[in-house]
Amino acid sequence: MSQGHTFKIYETPRLQTPCLVVGWNQDVGGLGSKSLEFLIKKLNAREFAKINPAGFFSLSGVPVEENVIQFPQSKFYFCAENDLLIFHSNGPGQSHYEFLTMLLDVAGQTCTVKEIYTIGGIISLMAHTSPRRVSSVVNNRQLKQPMAEYGVNTNLEYETPIGARPTLSSLLLWLAQKRNIIGANLWVDVPFYLAALEDPRACKQVLSILDRRFNLGLNFAELEQQTEQQNRLIAVLKEQESDVHRYITMLERGIMISEKESEALANKVAEFLQKRA
Amino acid sequence: MNEVIKYYQEPKLNKPDLVAAWPGIGSIGIIALNSLRELLEAEAFAEIEPWRFSYPHALSIKDGELQSLQFPESKFYFKKTATRDLLLFIGGEQPTDVMKGYEMANLVLEVALNLGCQRVYTAAAAVAPIHHSVRPRVWAVPNRRDLLAEVRSYHNTVLMGDIEGRSSQGTITGLNGLLLGVARERGLPGICLLGEIPVYIAQFPVPYPKASKSILEVLAANLGLTINLSKLDEQAQEVEQNIERLYHLIPEEIRQRIDQLKHVSNINEEKSGTITEEDEKRIMQQVEEFFKKGGKQD
Repeated sequence: MSQGHTFKIYETPRLQTPCLVVGWNQDVGGLGSKSLEFLIKKLNAREFAKINPAGFFSLSGVPVEENVIQFPQSKFYFCAENDLLIFHSNGPGQSHYEFLTMLLDVAGQTCTVKEIYTIGGIISLMAHTSPRRVSSVVNNRQLKQPMAEYGVNTNLEYETPIGARPTLSSLLLWLAQKRNIIGANLWVDVPFYLAALEDPRACKQVLSILDRRFNLGLNFAELEQQTEQQNRLIAVLKEQESDVHRYITMLERGIMISEKESEALANKVAEFLQKRA
Repeated sequence: MNEVIKYYQEPKLNKPDLVAAWPGIGSIGIIALNSLRELLEAEAFAEIEPWRFSYPHALSIKDGELQSLQFPESKFYFKKTATRDLLLFIGGEQPTDVMKGYEMANLVLEVALNLGCQRVYTAAAAVAPIHHSVRPRVWAVPNRRDLLAEVRSYHNTVLMGDIEGRSSQGTITGLNGLLLGVARERGLPGICLLGEIPVYIAQFPVPYPKASKSILEVLAANLGLTINLSKLDEQAQEVEQNIERLYHLIPEEIRQRIDQLKHVSNINEEKSGTITEEDEKRIMQQVEEFFKKGGKQD
């Protein structure tokens, strides 16, 4: 790789033909990071390689979030028992093609990847009490049927609107297709007012699909408790703030709220939940 | 062959000249190149595989299946004319990464040199204190001292150092300049042709075909081409009408200041009508503030 792009493999995992699960930090509703952290913890997945940040991320300084210095990370994990690879990373700021090529190269150096799945959230104008729908985008028709069997919406239609650009996960799926690796982007609806927070219910929804696909035997009690706690807190807020009550009730009834109302709702929920985090 | 270049065919050309452009201010270079390609009916023969240089700009999903990712296209064209053979390169996007820009410049020259290229021209914008009603000049910047005399003989063209209020030093940003630097490094003569765009228009994402026309006039004369630029005139007229409409919404005070620019279009004209750098800054601030307020006066 050019421009100082490097990676490091600490150990070579013994895997058959694993599937690779990919998630990104700073995703909508904390989908990528929260789901993968859950998966890594529950499966006791072990870190075995990393992509070094030089050339992919701006290293002119470090961001501080919630009073803590952050640093980009791009790590590979494996779980031999389930024949699974996991890649958990920040989205690169530059050299996207080289980064994703390196991702597939590192995974390919240790084993032959059979399938690839990415996890991500879609901001949705829905209430937090509504079920989270998962939609898939596949790079090979043969994956549509199994996805449909897990209750995934497999009929998505989409054209990039003017001013927007395709996601990193879409680019990865396309690159995987060029290497004849079949895969799917899994997109979960996240209520817009939870987009900047965490949505444990959405995490559970997408993880339950991976659970069934790979027979992982995951216990979701932790995410269920977090969902209940979040719902309780929002219920308290609804009681305290008549506007919040009205907006959420409207959303539950399928009535659109204005941009100004949406912004007010998102701000109030964020402030309330963050104070009690 | 370089694996980053995808050839559809390999034309046999006789010492061609290369004319290249990437998108930039007022789309001046790109409009000039696209017009030239259309007028000459130049044929595509190769492209640079885009994925290393550009992020995709569009995605299409149908029935839950990834159909395609669309990247900006960067293509080579050729045309054998009565006077000389020509190569055209139209870049879809300037790479944001400087090293990738350098790499792309080398790739373009590699293709051109393999076909026996003798000279390179690039087309871009020169942000200038001119009025939109005047004919834009072309700033010509060669990559070798021995081309200065030739450039001085071009019609409606100035050297950087001959422009009032400017020195002979400056910077040409982006690949339209870098390509000629790399060409110089590789011993290939070249000239950057920069069409003037009014300073108060340059900041808005509007095309400025009038300057593209000025560039094409210089190129046509230099390359011995006979081309009909009436279509470009029509485009320029349309753009100018839109600019005029906006112009009359601008407060009188700002308009008067901009009107002074009508008198700075020629290096040999009297100095009475010129504006100072301070005036230029003030005009820009006022125009900017005006449009920030949605084009409404206080």
